[in-house]
Amino acid sequence: MLLALLLCYAGFCALCLSMPRHHDELLGNKPSARRARVLKLAGWLLLGLSLWAAVAAHGWSFGLVDWFAVLMLSALALVLLLPYRPRLALALAGLSLLASPVAAWAQV
Amino acid sequence: MKEGFRQSMAWLHTWTGLLFGWLLFAIFLTGTLAYFKAEISHWMQPEIPARSINTEASLTLAQRYLQQHAAGASRWLIDLPDARDPGLTVRWQQAPNKPGERGKFESRTLDAQTGSEVQARESLGGEFFYRFHFQLQMPYPWGRWLATMAAMVMFIGLITGIITHKKIFKDFFTFRPRKGQRSWLDGHNAVGVLVLPFHLMITYSSLVIFMAMVMPASILASYNGDVRAFYDEVFPASKTPERANRATPLSPMAPLLAKASEQWAGGSTARLTVNNPGDANASVVLSRRGDRVVHDFGRAVTFNGVTGERLGNTPEQPVAMAVGGTFYGLHMGHFAGATLRWLYFICGLVSTAMIGTGLVIWLGKRQLKHAKSGVMPFELRLVEVLNIASMAGLTAAVAVFFLANRLLPADLLGRADQEVNAFFIAWALSVVHALLRKGRKAWVEQLALAAVLFVAVPLINLITPWNLGVTLVQGDWTLAGFDLTCLGAGLFLGWAAWKMQRAGSAVSVKKTPREKPRPIALEQEVS
Amino acid sequence: MKGKLASLPISYRLAVTSRILAAVFGGYLVAALASVALTMWLPLSRAEAVVTGMTISFLVYLVAVLWCFACRTAWSAWVGLLVPSVILATLSGAARGLGYA
Repeated sequence: MLLALLLCYAGFCALCLSMPRHHDELLGNKPSARRARVLKLAGWLLLGLSLWAAVAAHGWSFGLVDWFAVLMLSALALVLLLPYRPRLALALAGLSLLASPVAAWAQV
Repeated sequence: MKEGFRQSMAWLHTWTGLLFGWLLFAIFLTGTLAYFKAEISHWMQPEIPARSINTEASLTLAQRYLQQHAAGASRWLIDLPDARDPGLTVRWQQAPNKPGERGKFESRTLDAQTGSEVQARESLGGEFFYRFHFQLQMPYPWGRWLATMAAMVMFIGLITGIITHKKIFKDFFTFRPRKGQRSWLDGHNAVGVLVLPFHLMITYSSLVIFMAMVMPASILASYNGDVRAFYDEVFPASKTPERANRATPLSPMAPLLAKASEQWAGGSTARLTVNNPGDANASVVLSRRGDRVVHDFGRAVTFNGVTGERLGNTPEQPVAMAVGGTFYGLHMGHFAGATLRWLYFICGLVSTAMIGTGLVIWLGKRQLKHAKSGVMPFELRLVEVLNIASMAGLTAAVAVFFLANRLLPADLLGRADQEVNAFFIAWALSVVHALLRKGRKAWVEQLALAAVLFVAVPLINLITPWNLGVTLVQGDWTLAGFDLTCLGAGLFLGWAAWKMQRAGSAVSVKKTPREKPRPIALEQEVS
Repeated sequence: MKGKLASLPISYRLAVTSRILAAVFGGYLVAALASVALTMWLPLSRAEAVVTGMTISFLVYLVAVLWCFACRTAWSAWVGLLVPSVILATLSGAARGLGYA
């Protein structure tokens, strides 16, 4: 479940940053159209990868359940962190990406 | 017309949310607790030893016990122990006097290793919360009907909420604390949208679980009123054979466990149901332990009670039943391991918080209009009292239930009922208190009281042999975890009460879905 | 959105009550009839068709309830439920009559 969680969280962060309002809040400027698109794509890609990670670990039925659980809770964690500790929220996203390969290796 | 549609849906969302919100809050809170019902039961009956499991031996002991104490019963039920629930529970049912009535159940907990009745304090344990959340302490079948109606209203509330939330995608990541009413609405939207898959699943599945009861038209139409025939087709294993009225001893059941496990490619038995024990037409139905997401209602394995031969085939579950089984399995979460179970619990708390924040917003918005006059019209005052009692009061009552378990003498007659009474008395008192005190004061006092009561739970354990000092050393994580969670809940509630007290003229605290949701009422507003 | 309860005209209250009754009882009727019609017409075994019909019925109930509050007048709430009810009842009866049930 850990890999799926890390990828989900990073994915949601990317999707969040792809929105001009949040990008501005977090990084101080509005994103260019290209950057917004890249972030959106990356976000969805990461979410898709997290689904694959969950299903690969435990099969379809448990995998889907795990994925939804991780999806909801990572989104909640991000939204609660954003107004109070925005830098931590972003840092965790970076950490998640870095830790993902390790988690992937551990899962295999 | 589009504007009109959204507006009417908003109206519907607001009013169904209010009228059923208090009940739904209670259902969701107790239902959430039910995910840990085995752990709660273990804490409330710590005398039941957690032994290493030997299911065959336990089953043999259970059979012997039932043979001695329930020989004439029409049905036996044996719940085998597992890692989460170390109790060996036996139940038996006397045949009802009139057909169609439910026979009365008797229940005993046995020591899984010795087979003797456990001298544990009599308590409903976690089962109380589990049963309450769908039976509402009302006689059968009224409680279930009301709970299912509430579920339908919840479903309508969710859908109308989605329709009404114009900026559902735009505001997906939006949460702005410290902005009064705005924050409460942001919070309500956040917990609503971000955990929506869970809300929808839990709500629709609760409808499906009782669908045969509340929506029987198609059964009656298809089977010409023969409901029994429907159940026999859907749950072939539950067919109760007719009594032959010839006394024939029941064969030992322990060997059946291995036979059933073969049928399930390795799965294990959770429960045995013996129909007509001691009769020539006895049958033993073995139900599989929930280790799958899709609950298979038809997969129970049935054996002839006298000869031990397997009766009938266990066919593959048809798609329609698998869908129903999926709803059931997801709702119950039997298959969930420790991590996922905590996630279920958190999601449940978040759902509860969604309902609670809604109730607070409903009142907060309207209170603004009367802030100047200082006098609250009767309707709003009623809502305020119900908000406080159904949320803070209910939470305090949960702590009282736990404390009663430790405070009532272990050998008190009928103490299981007394624990339940304590719960309801505490809840009722919270209503009285809310009536007598001004809104903000009532909130602060009830939250503070709930905080004290929850912190008292692990403290009171200090005078028992199951206190944190012992359990942490022994590694009994269930008992230790329970105490620690209560402590955490108490601290959270205390923080909420303190925030509420300070909030003077501006309120902006968001419930975090970590522990029990703590809605904080608004008296004044700074926009 | 709503003014003080006391100041609402009687006609409004009656209309709302009417919609509520339509939604609760009429909606249930439509949902039940839908479950029966589905059961009669679905090409599945009897038990499967019944289970499918019941499972889907709550979606029908939802739509019926939303209709009762979204439609323009309280009367159209009832009419909007009556028409599907008749159709569904006819469909169910037809299945019986044609020997499908």
